Amino acid sequence: MCEDEPVSQSVRVVRPLRQDTPPSSWWRVLLGLLMLGMAAVLLAQRYGADDLTAWMMPLAVFIAALVLVWSPLESAVQSDPRRPDVVSLFSRDAWARVVLGVVLAIGSVAWFAQWDFNGQKLVRALVVPVVAVAGVGLVLAPWWMRLLRQVSVEREQRAREFERAEIAAHLHDSVLQTLTLIRAKASDPDAVVRLARSQERDLRSYLYQERRSPADSVAATLTQAMSEVEDAHGVEISVVNVGDAPTTPALAAAVRAAREAATNAARHGHEPITVYAEVTDARYDVYVRDAGPGFSPEAVDSDRAGIRHSIVGRAERHGGTATVTSAPGKRTEVAISMPRKEQR
Amino acid sequence: MSVRVVIVDDHDVIRVGVKESLDGDIEVVGQGRDVESAIEAVRATAPDVVILDVHLPGGSGGGALDVLAQILTDSPVPRVLALSVSDAADDVVAVVRAGARGYVTKSISGPELSDAVRRVAGGDAVFSPRLAGFVLDAFNAAGGEVAHLDEDLDKLTEREQEVMRLIARGYTYREVSEKLFISIKTVETHVGKVLHKLQLSNRHELARWAAQRRIV
Repeated sequence: MCEDEPVSQSVRVVRPLRQDTPPSSWWRVLLGLLMLGMAAVLLAQRYGADDLTAWMMPLAVFIAALVLVWSPLESAVQSDPRRPDVVSLFSRDAWARVVLGVVLAIGSVAWFAQWDFNGQKLVRALVVPVVAVAGVGLVLAPWWMRLLRQVSVEREQRAREFERAEIAAHLHDSVLQTLTLIRAKASDPDAVVRLARSQERDLRSYLYQERRSPADSVAATLTQAMSEVEDAHGVEISVVNVGDAPTTPALAAAVRAAREAATNAARHGHEPITVYAEVTDARYDVYVRDAGPGFSPEAVDSDRAGIRHSIVGRAERHGGTATVTSAPGKRTEVAISMPRKEQR
Repeated sequence: MSVRVVIVDDHDVIRVGVKESLDGDIEVVGQGRDVESAIEAVRATAPDVVILDVHLPGGSGGGALDVLAQILTDSPVPRVLALSVSDAADDVVAVVRAGARGYVTKSISGPELSDAVRRVAGGDAVFSPRLAGFVLDAFNAAGGEVAHLDEDLDKLTEREQEVMRLIARGYTYREVSEKLFISIKTVETHVGKVLHKLQLSNRHELARWAAQRRIV
């Protein structure tokens, strides 16, 4: 622990007393304080300042009470700031100090409440409750703060344990299982490649991506759809998402159309297949692109349902558009655009 | 004129694979397997391009950043193409901001990698679709939630956005130039400017922000 912290803490807690006092001499300090208070009161009485006794004496007692209540806490904090259970750190001596301090604090407030405020009833009715509440607050404040810290430390520990258990469970379910499968299928290169690829993708998304549910994130929905195409056709699809939004029915339709386009690309086109999706305030745009060999869109028979029905039809039913750009010998690109304004 | 490169990767298999896949006019003059051997190889051979894996053993900054910090003060300054399997945004942004002229993933094909090496050797920037997507997101081209700072370095021009968007869609520089009716040289200029902005933008929080949103 750094040198400054305990010092500043002690300054904050007991500023007038602590300057040159060793921590073991609380009783002497208390005694001295009481005597000083008494002397002040006697002086005040002697010279006729009656008002002063009415609040000075209770104040002195109250400060002494604060010192008593706070002192064991401070030593506990200093001994181990991260240790959650304060109570077990206390000796019987500390408990005695706390109890005595609380009694003194209550007594001093009660004493203060006896004062008649020179007959100003309204002032008295206002000030006494405020002082009582403030007094209780001052006595309890460090305890309350301590409790809060304790709770947060505990929560942090629990979260960490939970996270660790979850990672272990995930690795067991995914990586270990896949490794076993790969060992079993060592003679089948295609299966090994497929297993390794899907495991790589899984692990990658686990490590690098936020685990969002498809309902919250159209980007996650699209990525998931594309990995299904990858698995089904044994191709690699690079997916780039810019922006994100919740998956509305229209966006889900756009994703299904894009999935159909990617399936076509996987079936007829060459790798690399790239998918780029961009969410703007107005639209959701998805582009699916392969590396050729291309075809002539006009030449495709009208009864072949793929493009017309699955891609264009899906997009148009939800108010979007889909255009297929291709020519023999060129790359094929399907652009799907879905307006978003209506969904709001 | 052949391009002289140094390959830095801690896996022997990857180094061999990269070397094999490069075209004939690219000459591998040195190799490195960790931070120390990489710096040594670069200083000994003064290559045109360093193909640098992002994660390397040794050093204190994850590997690539240590190498970059050392070799970019050399003269002549070698140009660096980062090569990685990592999709983590902070890695990508960190190496690009540290001075790499490009970033490609290890799944890149041989001809594409050769092309990228030649491009970097010629002083141009190389953006993978992923990096282009990140740039678009980071510079708020798609209308995200990041507040605009009214400084030129924090904005992409309309044209730069178009170019980045096409690269993110998988277009090569040639295809971008055909699509936008501009010359390849102009495309290269736009990409170079975007790289410059990415490196010099005073968005200090760029990498952290990217990591939080898990964009790349």
